Amino acid sequence: MKKQLRIGSVVLALTLSVSSLAACSSKNDDSGAASPSGSAPSSSAATGAKDTITALLPPVSPTYQDNFAQMEKDFNALYPNLTLKIEPASWEDMTQKLDTQVNAGSPPDIAFIGSDGISKYAQQGMLMDITDTATPDMISDYDSAPLEYMKNGNGLYGFPAYMEVHALGGNKQFLEEAGIDWKKVQKDGWTYDEFREAIKKGVVKEGDTTKRYGFVFATSGVAAKDYLGILVKSAGMPAAFTKDLKYAYTSKNYLEVLKDVRQMIDDGSMPKELSSVDAGKRWNMFLTGQTMITGKGLATFENSANKNNAKIDANDGSAVKDSIKVDYIVLPVPSFAGQPPVSSTVVDGYVTFRGKKEPTAEHKANVVKAAYFLASGKVAATTNNDLFAAHITKTAREAAKSMTVNRNPDNVAAVETMLSHAAPARPDIPVDLGAKAIKIENEVIVPKMQALLANEIKPEEMYDAVKKAAIEAFGEDGIVQD
Amino acid sequence: MAQQAAKIKKRRLQDDGAWGYLFIAVALVVYALFTAYPVVSAFIISFQDYKPLGSTFIGFDNYVSTFHSELFWKSIRNTVVYTVLTVPVALFLSFSVAILILPLKKWMQTAFKAIYYLPVVASGVALSVVWLWIYDPMPEGIFNKLIGLFGAHNQNWLGTTTYSMLSLVIMAWLSSHGAAIIIYLAALLGIDESYYEAADLDGAGFLQKLWHIVVPSLKPTTLFLLVTSVIGSFQVFQNAYLMTGGGPDHATTMVGLLIFDNAFKYFEFGKAAAQSLILALIIAVISLFQFKFLGKDVEY
Repeated sequence: MKKQLRIGSVVLALTLSVSSLAACSSKNDDSGAASPSGSAPSSSAATGAKDTITALLPPVSPTYQDNFAQMEKDFNALYPNLTLKIEPASWEDMTQKLDTQVNAGSPPDIAFIGSDGISKYAQQGMLMDITDTATPDMISDYDSAPLEYMKNGNGLYGFPAYMEVHALGGNKQFLEEAGIDWKKVQKDGWTYDEFREAIKKGVVKEGDTTKRYGFVFATSGVAAKDYLGILVKSAGMPAAFTKDLKYAYTSKNYLEVLKDVRQMIDDGSMPKELSSVDAGKRWNMFLTGQTMITGKGLATFENSANKNNAKIDANDGSAVKDSIKVDYIVLPVPSFAGQPPVSSTVVDGYVTFRGKKEPTAEHKANVVKAAYFLASGKVAATTNNDLFAAHITKTAREAAKSMTVNRNPDNVAAVETMLSHAAPARPDIPVDLGAKAIKIENEVIVPKMQALLANEIKPEEMYDAVKKAAIEAFGEDGIVQD
Repeated sequence: MAQQAAKIKKRRLQDDGAWGYLFIAVALVVYALFTAYPVVSAFIISFQDYKPLGSTFIGFDNYVSTFHSELFWKSIRNTVVYTVLTVPVALFLSFSVAILILPLKKWMQTAFKAIYYLPVVASGVALSVVWLWIYDPMPEGIFNKLIGLFGAHNQNWLGTTTYSMLSLVIMAWLSSHGAAIIIYLAALLGIDESYYEAADLDGAGFLQKLWHIVVPSLKPTTLFLLVTSVIGSFQVFQNAYLMTGGGPDHATTMVGLLIFDNAFKYFEFGKAAAQSLILALIIAVISLFQFKFLGKDVEY
């Protein structure tokens, strides 16, 4: 009996450990056909051999993840020998999940990320250059500007899904009450001085209490990076480096922007608590009538505002609490220091990865097919319409003809105007310089910007800190000194 | 011959020592795989410029750059300040609550233990969301409403260097004492009743009994909680990550968050591993001092 108990205990303990080890395993080899990046499929796609392409995809648009099963089915119908296996991820999990897989040497074949993440993964050597695999038909389908964002050096690392402009969003009623000719602003833009006067007019006070601000931008935490990054583009610094690869944020115009950032808060046009206002908070403030202009604004916000308006009309309890009906107006970011406006853009897309082993040509071709399938035609048309984002491929524009979108035509035209002077991609910036700039941004610019917004340091102190870090990183000759 | 072989087999099956090794083998394998291997691996990576496709040996560069990093020392300073402000108060609160629960009936003790332990079970992310709501910088924020009752203006709790660390400290003071309360309560129940009876005969009051019986009897428990709390506090990451992201101006960048950023934001795994090992060394030294100076007359 004692012996049986002992044997039983050992068997149980071993079973537990084996099952816990099995649970830790990330490999999914149920079909035997799965081919994670880096491990080659058994034979060529040209011969119709089976292959599986894995994709890690976040909820790009509100209905995007609902369409995964259909997307997998459609892809398989198009390429019967290929299986597209989509792993959904939340936006919150996306970076961490992908980073973990990349550093373990087994990333998915395709991941949906921002084009600004390309240099980070390229530095790791984990991206798959598809320059020699993407066919001329595929390449010619794309508008050239967004496609450039998917490049680093001479390599092409995937296909773009959309190119959205970082704009501002205005409440039509409040803009008109403040006497702002928003149609003219949409067409001709505005300078910082004009913008400053406009947002002053948007402030509504009751005694000492501000009931409505002229302008609220999400700046909490890393969002401070977005705020400053968007503003400096229209201050003669469309990228962190000039064309001759000198670090640009040491220009005197950078200091001017910092002074203006502080000035808008000191005017009372923006809340003094701005440094703690996150994206959710400022959108809530916009829908509840606590601000006239909000930022940053993306095209999809018009859709969100419309949906909330419909809920208010239907007396639906899920409408944002205390919200009012809002006609969302797309507005450009003002220009600073007499510089021409340059729109900040966001280009996200389907980036192609490789594993520890060199992928075979056949597998690479299959990954490219899958990335192109996701980033063009019907899939792209459906997703971009859902986002109110402009189409960037001929095939998506064609597919979108049969789809209806309830967009304000003035906003569509305003976005087109802003895209016409969008900041160009800079694949020429070497990976190591880019990495140093990102480090300065995270370790100096964002923390100092938070302190500047909280009125704990002066614009000059922040400027000096950025300049000091830039000189340490790039040397006196590696920075702009004007 | 066959009889002899059977005897040897039987003896092996009845050998307690062999069975013991077999039993610990399972735990040992798990420990080796999930604890020892990562530590050894981190040690090796700390001397490398880590890349998934092939790392390069760079000697002590990661350690040298860490020791020259202003941000590393600032994060150490922040972590020490956070630890000094949170651990003693947290222990005092846990001890006080345990003392308050002790005289209650058993079912009430159980109910209070469950209530206080509940936040430990709840998701830290969910708790942080609640705290973000409490620290809302606008006038409608709960803390701002509270201080508004006393005529104070609303404060930007998490957005200024003046208040951000204090906000994290208050959050630590007011949450998650469940485990310490249960441990203290178990220790309090373990104190022999005869001590209290003798004290009663001598006419000792509540505070005298507390000071002369309870505090000395709980010294091993307090030492245990102090050491584990300091270790936990030095490794604090979640609160800073979710509430402030280390800002503003690195005022709440703890060393755990810095290590995370180096590893997962910048992919500098070598530097992150070096900093982890330095942190482990600091924790080991502090724990050693705690045992040396506070554990002198502790009987286990």
